[in-house]
Amino acid sequence: MVRSLKDIIRSSSIHVCLINTGGCNGCDIEVVALLSPRYDLEQYGIYVHNNPREADVILVTGAVTEQWVEKLRRIYTKAPEPKIVVALGNCPLTGDVFNQEGGSVYAPVSDFIPVAAEVSGCPPRPSEILAAILSVAPGAIAARGREKK
Amino acid sequence: MSSVIWYLYEFARKSWAESFAGAKTNPEIMETPDRFRDFPQVIPENCIACGACTAACPAPKAIKLVRSEDNSHEEGITYPVINTRGCIRCGFCAEVCPTDPKALLCGENHLIREEFTILPVEKTFTIDDYLCIRCRKCMNTCPVEGAIFEEDNKIIIDKAKCISCGECLKTCPVKGAVKGIYVFNVQEQKQIIQLVVNTLEKRIEEEEENIKQLEGGEVFKVDLPIDGLVEAARNILDNDDLILDIIQKMTDRLKMRIITWDHGKCNDCRLCVKDCPSGAITYTKEGGVQRNADKCLRCSVCYQTCPFGVVGYYVARFLLDEPQLEGGVIRITVKASQLPQGAG
Repeated sequence: MVRSLKDIIRSSSIHVCLINTGGCNGCDIEVVALLSPRYDLEQYGIYVHNNPREADVILVTGAVTEQWVEKLRRIYTKAPEPKIVVALGNCPLTGDVFNQEGGSVYAPVSDFIPVAAEVSGCPPRPSEILAAILSVAPGAIAARGREKK
Repeated sequence: MSSVIWYLYEFARKSWAESFAGAKTNPEIMETPDRFRDFPQVIPENCIACGACTAACPAPKAIKLVRSEDNSHEEGITYPVINTRGCIRCGFCAEVCPTDPKALLCGENHLIREEFTILPVEKTFTIDDYLCIRCRKCMNTCPVEGAIFEEDNKIIIDKAKCISCGECLKTCPVKGAVKGIYVFNVQEQKQIIQLVVNTLEKRIEEEEENIKQLEGGEVFKVDLPIDGLVEAARNILDNDDLILDIIQKMTDRLKMRIITWDHGKCNDCRLCVKDCPSGAITYTKEGGVQRNADKCLRCSVCYQTCPFGVVGYYVARFLLDEPQLEGGVIRITVKASQLPQGAG
């Protein structure tokens, strides 16, 4: 009873964990813009924090530097089911300007963890980020369901 | 008290309660504004396959030139393809695209329009930041509001507003801080500069024997009346102000290397011919190695190359005494300590 009530509440409240795996920070600033009163992310029931253990959606930015390869996998395993990853910006998709010849970035992110949605742009507009989270998260949570013990 | 009542009245209204309970972002905020520079738009028909866009692109995977398949009666066309997963929407590709109309379009803010004044003026004015003492006298005398402004502790002339009246140049207490630059007759100006340089060089060469007598630390001085120079310059361009301006600017800042050429020592090795950056040195079987004084940059590379001491140079400085065309004299100073090693 309590569990199903929790599920109903959780379906309209998405917890987002933001990870920067070595980018220019531009995408993170766009996420901050989302948090601001102008876009007001929380009216959609989205709450951004940096705890993977209670994250419904993992937002990955950055081009995956060497130090982040293992840590990214570790964070992914810590997230509860269903694990939904949104790759934010061009860095996690192709490595963008950091993916130069002789560079040491390990993009794309999809090589390490499965990615559910991609938002291209450098950086993407806040409304695009919001649309991506909203298009993926509620449906995916409902479809896969929370892990029942 | 009245304000408290006003607040309570405000909270009691239905519209306030509605907006409090159903707070939503204004949908206009979520829309992309027109000024937003989105991914570049490709028009394949205009592309000439020059590759400028790929060279300008800062992201390695953003842009690729592809060629469509040939068919029976036509070759396939080449055009750029934008990978939106790599493109950073900087618009550099659209900026460098040389075709008209462009094969790549990306926002309006990358159409470069040079600033200029629409008045037909023959002089533009700039401030040399290195010499400017920031007294702001030019700002105060300038008749156009906002034509001279201060930014980042620098005094700057706005070329789009300047009417080229020259008031700033007259009030400026520092010589050379405000520069008036003639923008017309550039070719003639070059010729006059060439003429002045060559005349000065000839004058010094005439005194070569005397200069060689100098001992270390001594200074050799020689004067050159500019009457003949002015007469020749007037044949090139009949504008006394411009001639005086050129001569004055040259004598103020010129530290000329006077190249000497001792043909007797030359062994025709032709090392200098290849090294000369402006191609001023040529070789013919009959005439041997020759230097064209009009082309010469006076960089002294030949002096450094020559193994036989054929080439030498003096460093000379100049001063225009009495800055006027009638009766003006250029005073030339050559220091003995700067005499070339190969010339003796």
